Order: sequence, then C-alpha cells, then structure tokens
Amino acid sequence: MTPTILNPNTLPYNDNVNPYAFCVDLSQPWFMRKGAMIAYYGTANFEALGVTNLASMVAARFSSPLYANDWVVVSGQGKVVIGDRGYDINSYDIDAGNLTIKASNLLGFETGLELKQSIVPGFLTLIGTGKFLASSNGPVMFAEPPVRVDPEALLGWADCPSPSHHYDAGWMQGFLGAMGGMVLGLQSGEERQFDFTGEGTVLLQSSEEPRPDPAIARALESQLYGVDHAGLTRIQSVVQQRLMSQQP
Amino acid sequence: MPGYEKVNGKVVKADLSRGPVLARRGAMLFYTGQVSFRPAGGGMPGGMSGGMPGMGGLGAIAGMAGRALAGEHVAMMAAEGMGEVHYGFRGSNVTVIELQGELLQVEADRLLCHDANLQSSVVVLGSGGVRQAVRGAVSGQGLATTQISGMGSVAVLSHGGTFALPVGGGQVIGVDPQSYVAAQGNLTIDVGASLGWRDAVGKGSGEAIQLKVSGQGTVYVQASERKL
Repeated sequence: MTPTILNPNTLPYNDNVNPYAFCVDLSQPWFMRKGAMIAYYGTANFEALGVTNLASMVAARFSSPLYANDWVVVSGQGKVVIGDRGYDINSYDIDAGNLTIKASNLLGFETGLELKQSIVPGFLTLIGTGKFLASSNGPVMFAEPPVRVDPEALLGWADCPSPSHHYDAGWMQGFLGAMGGMVLGLQSGEERQFDFTGEGTVLLQSSEEPRPDPAIARALESQLYGVDHAGLTRIQSVVQQRLMSQQP
Repeated sequence: MPGYEKVNGKVVKADLSRGPVLARRGAMLFYTGQVSFRPAGGGMPGGMSGGMPGMGGLGAIAGMAGRALAGEHVAMMAAEGMGEVHYGFRGSNVTVIELQGELLQVEADRLLCHDANLQSSVVVLGSGGVRQAVRGAVSGQGLATTQISGMGSVAVLSHGGTFALPVGGGQVIGVDPQSYVAAQGNLTIDVGASLGWRDAVGKGSGEAIQLKVSGQGTVYVQASERKL
C-alpha cells in the first residue's frame, strides 16, 4: 500500500483526514484547546484569549473563565490538523441548537457558537450555529432517553434536560439501613449513574482513562467561599490524607 | 444463541433477558430498562436479602476465596433485571468468546464480563505450584487467572484487539507473556525460560521468557505488549 501524501490542496476542507486527525480550514477563526494542533500549513496565529485582537468577539463567545487559560483562538490563512491522544475525532454541526460536552474532550469550535460552563461540573455547553470537534475513545454511541449512564462513559448530551443522579435501589436500601456507613465499603461500582429523561440525545463513549482536568481544582477553589471554619478543617484533613496516600 | 452484541470494537451490549451477567466492577457504561447491580463473590450488603436467582454457578467457595485474595481490582458485580446493559472498560478493545462447555483461562485483569450461569474460579498466584508462581512473577500480570467453563459468552479485554491462534496436533506455541490474553480449550500453559549468561549481564534478546502453550484449543493474543 502506498501512503497518500497530503499537501495544502489535497488536505480535506473541514473534514477528517483519518479517524484520528481532522483538518480545519482557517477561512474563519476557530477556538481551539491548547495542544490540539498537530500540524499546520499557511499562516496560523495561535493567540491566548487575553491578548488577541479579536478581544470583543472572544469576550462575547467564550463565556467560561474557568477554561480560558486552556484555550487559544486561531486565525489567519491555511489549514490546521488537529489530533488528541489517538482518539477518534468527531465533528458535528449545531444548527440553532445546544449541546453539552465533557470539557476534556472538546477540541475546538467555530466562533458562531457560544461556549458556556454547564451546571454539571466538568462539562461545557455550546449554543448557536456552527461546527465543533470532540475526541472520543472509540466511536461515539448515541442513546435515546430514558437511559442511565456511568459518569465515566458520558461524553455529552443534546437537547436533554440536565441529568440527575440515580442510585441503585439495592444500594440505597443498604445506605438507609442501620448499617448505612458500613455499606460504603461494599459497592458494586455501579450504584451511581446519571439519569437522563425527556426528549433528546445522549452521546457516549467507551469509558476512558481519566485525565486530570485542571479546571476541577479551580472549580473547587471557587466554591470554598461558602465554607465555614469547621468545613475548611474537614477539607484540610481530607486533602492531607490524599496527599499522604499519593506520595511516591 | 448469540451472546453479546458488539456495538463497536470497544463496547458490547448484553441483553439481560438471556440471564444475569457478571462484569468487572466499573465496566458498565450505560443501560436502559430496570436493572439492578450488586457486588458478586464478596461480602453481601444489606440489599442482598433478595437472594440471587439463577446464579448458582457462582457459588464455588474456592472462587470466592480466590476473589477475596486477588484483591479489589478484579471485584465483579452482577447485573440482573430486564433491559440492555453496555459494557466497556477504559477504552480497551473487546473480544467475545463463546464457550460450548470447554475451559477458558483468562487473566483476571482482562475479564470484562461473562454470563452468570458459567462456572468461574480464580487461581491465585502460587496455588498452581511453583510454575504458576514463576509465571505470575515473570509475566507481571498473572497474579490471578480466572478459569471459566460452561455454556455461554465471555468478553475479554485487550489493547488493540485479539487474534486467535489454533493449538493442536502436538504443536507448542510460544507467546510473549505481555501479549497473552486468554486460552480456550484443554491447554497447558508453562513458562519457558531460556535464560542464559547473556540475560544475566543484560545483553539478552528480551524474549527470554515465553509462555509455552500446548494441548488442544485456541489461544487469544493481542498485537501489543501493553498490560491493562
């Protein structure tokens, strides 16, 4: 088999090069996750969100201080190839709609879309019209509610009411019983799911190895304001324990 | 009857109307219908009072003790009820193996799920004698081998998918311990160590330790040396 050699003219226009790489045409600016670019042709300017001359557009479209440091805006002329850990790269068009997706899997989106932080921690919501790119471990699966989902397998959802937590009935029975505290040590690992009901589509992947999301620490930090002295002491001891057990 | 339906290379769908399914803890991706989950083969929490209909095959005391010894990381959980459950684990590839009464030996780390009516027991490091102990130690993954038999389906995990190598006619197949996934049939697995002075001084071929598979059956191998 002879390898296909790509050049600026033969690279696809806003389409997959192969399942694991996607080529973006810079006829209009894109928001991109830092580190998602693997190659580019032409003049592409990768600018931090704070120092770009598209400042007013960025402020209007990128409504997430939590993730602002992890994203850049790309403009110029040329083609940018995007990849992520060898995961499948999927592109979808949103047409005057909304879609919520796991923050660590979102790679880029057109500026016709507006980004907001979801109420569910670790997820971002895109609203408007345009194309976005997301990575998934294996092909994306689509499910229709009612469905219950393991948090690690959830990639996102479109047009659904926000998910609620579902706890397995057997587990709840034990929890509510006299031995409530003891049961926590004897879990099936599947006692907690996200429960989706109503109209919409749920996006799923094979669960992936968890990747540290830097925004989680920042989100926790921002929530500390409402915690009193006793709560802070408690958190400190939990953190201390985790640090001790993680020492190399 | 067909077993699990493969949704893609990394996900299988199990229809619980065929009977309960035992799966590696944390392997459930999503489900529809009325399904309940409970720990299997370990201590029973309060929710267990209902008993475990149709799960007699699980009851071998040795299997339970083995699971306890083998540690949390191979803890299994049972799913039962009415509905369809999707299983996958950390993006590993999945291979479905149908058992027609023969024995399947699979590293406990690589077992994704199997029908609950299959008999299973865990052979822990050392209980198989010196050879078993040596094998576990050198392959770095054979700490606990699960032996499954009966009629039903098993799904095993691999990195990049598996291929099946037939074994028989007195042949012996050598397999890299890191690439070995599972063995189906009447097979004996030995460690073949051809250690010489070169290995002792760090100039070995890197392939000094191999698993020697002999007997009659099929061995499943992955084209990768990554452990799970």
